Amino acid sequence: MGAHDDKLSTDDADLTLERRSLFGLGLAGAALGGLAASAALAPTPAAAQTVAKSKLYTIKERGKLIVGTGSTNPPWHFQDANGKLVGMDIDLARLLAKSLFDDPEKVEFVLQGSDARIPSLVTDKVDIVVQWMTVTPGRAQQVDFTFPYYREGVGLLMLDRGGKYKNYAELKAAGKAVTVGGMQNVFLEEWIHKALPEAKVDAFESPDAAMQALNARRIDASMQDQSAMRWLMQQAPGRFVDSGFGWMPNSYASAVKPGDPTWLNWVNTVYKEAMVGVDFDTFAASYKKWFGIELPIPKVGFPQEFA
Amino acid sequence: MIDYHFDWGVIARNADKLTDALLLGLWLAVVSLAIGCVIGLVTAYARVSGKWWLSRPVWLYVEFIRCTPLLLLVFFLYFGLPEFDISFLDKTQSFILSLSLYAGAYMSEVFRAGLASIPKQYVEAAKAIGLRPWQRQAYVVLPVMFRITLPSVSNNLISLFKDTSLAAAIAVPELTFTARQINANTFRVMESWLTASALYLATAYLIALVLRQIERRYAAIR
Repeated sequence: MGAHDDKLSTDDADLTLERRSLFGLGLAGAALGGLAASAALAPTPAAAQTVAKSKLYTIKERGKLIVGTGSTNPPWHFQDANGKLVGMDIDLARLLAKSLFDDPEKVEFVLQGSDARIPSLVTDKVDIVVQWMTVTPGRAQQVDFTFPYYREGVGLLMLDRGGKYKNYAELKAAGKAVTVGGMQNVFLEEWIHKALPEAKVDAFESPDAAMQALNARRIDASMQDQSAMRWLMQQAPGRFVDSGFGWMPNSYASAVKPGDPTWLNWVNTVYKEAMVGVDFDTFAASYKKWFGIELPIPKVGFPQEFA
Repeated sequence: MIDYHFDWGVIARNADKLTDALLLGLWLAVVSLAIGCVIGLVTAYARVSGKWWLSRPVWLYVEFIRCTPLLLLVFFLYFGLPEFDISFLDKTQSFILSLSLYAGAYMSEVFRAGLASIPKQYVEAAKAIGLRPWQRQAYVVLPVMFRITLPSVSNNLISLFKDTSLAAAIAVPELTFTARQINANTFRVMESWLTASALYLATAYLIALVLRQIERRYAAIR
């Protein structure tokens, strides 16, 4: 989501350069990319464009898909114990490769910080960005968003055993007695108070300090992204529970360079059929793996999305 | 400075918060020093008692605290103790306890040296005029020792005041925490850290000035 992915970008920047060098682009390439990006971001008249060949066919000819993503945010895109890039975003990228070439390995990942998501698209460094990108009207003026594949929000993570309160209703009823922790950022207090207007807020320097405060029962709940909560609950079964209340919704979608309806439409088709059609099993398996949630099988009969 | 536009309005808007934070830090340091002095005095006497079952544990305590970073002690008391179901201290109290234990170890060494430096003749003279053992300590040894150790005590107060910045790690709203919060909210990095530094510097210097006056007034005559 907007607030935290931007914050992570500084960390990612170093990694990006390092990885790019590995991919043979080098520092100069990255720097030039930055310049080109700022030029390309400037508004240009959309007139008099010739109908170009869609990226879809370029990719088919090239024989591999180039995807921009990150590597530091479980369960979306991160390195597992063996150093292999995994996560929900990575699974979706592999599904695209599989749909294109019948081989989920025919994909090259370009690791980048959150702030590189739009520039890397407009400078054609990557074919598509699959990197927990929150859909906003502002961003939609610079790139084309695909169908969203996840609705993110924040929630309150609590201890399963040993905590004073059991769920959101009890937290709310306890009013001023409740302390909620989270990682220090601009919105922390405002967001917590949207859900629990009277709660005390403890801001911690890092997400792990907030987690440890919860483990030590120093705070009654920790405000987190719901996807992160589900991932943590998966990692330590029986330790944490969701308070049952979620708020601050925002949608995660992929993005492509604007002006290529064929490519956008193709990606949309893959995503949609992954969520409700032929690739549902693949999508549901990923969903179960990263969030621990079993998706209900789409209803057969009238397509629900038009209901 | 490359193209950084200062906006001190941010500091002005948060002046109350910063003042409260500074006072909280001072209060943490003074309270911890007071408790630390008590711990230090008791342990210093235990150390010079000549009884191994008193002096060995004190030695262990002093060396353990002196050889571990304060931040780890803060983390242990705040995050670690609740795992053993000890959680009656809130974040501020648990920080005061950490800082007191830390100060206690240093004060223990200071007082031990102070006790050792008192001339034997003082105690013998006190004996000669018929003072009881506790009277010898209360009227002769301790007053002299406090005068001798005063400069070290004031040094410790200044360094404890600076150590209160570690309380930010467990969300105690002192100066460092508040500066970081202003950073997070406004991205005025330069302004908030420069202000915090200036406040630390000025306050520590003021403490030093005041204590120097006190030292001048009470300094040991040797």
